[in-house]
Amino acid sequence: MATRSGTGQPTSRRSIAIAIAVAAVAAVGLVAVALLLRDDGGSSTSAPAVDVSGIPQEGSLLGDPDANVTLIEYADMQCPFCAEYAEQMLPTLVNDYVRPGKVNADFRVVAILGDDSEKAARYVIAAGMQNLMWEFQQELFRNQGQEHSGWVTDEVLRETAAAVPGLDVDKLFADADGAQVTAQANENIQRFQEDGAQGTPTILIQIGDGDPYMLQVGLEPTALAAALDDALAG
Amino acid sequence: MSDRNLRIAAILVTLAGIGVAGYLTWAHFADQSVICVQGGGCEKVQESSYSEIAGIPVAVLGLASYLTVLALLVWDAPVARLSAATLAIVGVLFGAYLVVVQLFVIDAVCVWCMANDLVIGPALAVLTLLRLRS
Repeated sequence: MATRSGTGQPTSRRSIAIAIAVAAVAAVGLVAVALLLRDDGGSSTSAPAVDVSGIPQEGSLLGDPDANVTLIEYADMQCPFCAEYAEQMLPTLVNDYVRPGKVNADFRVVAILGDDSEKAARYVIAAGMQNLMWEFQQELFRNQGQEHSGWVTDEVLRETAAAVPGLDVDKLFADADGAQVTAQANENIQRFQEDGAQGTPTILIQIGDGDPYMLQVGLEPTALAAALDDALAG
Repeated sequence: MSDRNLRIAAILVTLAGIGVAGYLTWAHFADQSVICVQGGGCEKVQESSYSEIAGIPVAVLGLASYLTVLALLVWDAPVARLSAATLAIVGVLFGAYLVVVQLFVIDAVCVWCMANDLVIGPALAVLTLLRLRS
């Protein structure tokens, strides 16, 4: 083994060779374990997470506008965690809280990850002008491409829009370039900053007209449900 | 370069590794987007099935390895030097695998991972190996 101390003679070549051999074997073993135990996740976002049809929708707000508790989400359409959040959390949120009218949900799209985010956000907001933002954002999350790859093309947006029943695609494209969308996008990013959000997704709860408070619920539906129950209990 | 300077350099490189691995670990558990340069695919890499081994995030393994190397550098006994070099070589080889995965399998590049796999890890391996011969 090693034959040197702090200022003594160098480690023997044999020891170094053994160390390199051990390292190589360990690395090969690690790669083998990584490949053998890899979880490929199966089918991911093959279908919309949840059906929001029949639930009141106005702009970015889903659910009873008079509900006392609002769940606010800041999301970037390029953010994979946001897509995952939509897939994993929406069923609990919508089926157990929004559809029964206990809670409403405000989807505030922001563009913090670049040009694709900005373009996607404009179309999400434009879909909100037809009160179909939630269907459109779910569909666009399903079509989400690689970050910064230029995946938010007119073609993808048109296909996404076409998959949302009732959405006027030509109007969507016309609205997306409008001043109203620009104003809403600016308002969203301003509120994002005012609410102290650092990244996406950021989830907040607002009770009545009170100040929203941030949640750290990760991607665990039961944690979200517990937070909403607490809010509903006052 | 003297052994003392090699040791200081190795510690500084290890601290850089702790910083990168720590940031990626935090981002993983906080479910937050990592800061990524234009053209990168940090989140795609971070979210891929290659980002975990048996449920343990690769970032956590990296952080644990760097912390171990730091402890070995501080200890600085002969066996600690040899162990640090061995661990650093494992890191380089596994990093090479991760680079291949990013470029040819996931088809996305995480700049933080690349900085670790192509700069920090190899630098640490070279420094720890040089110390064995100094």
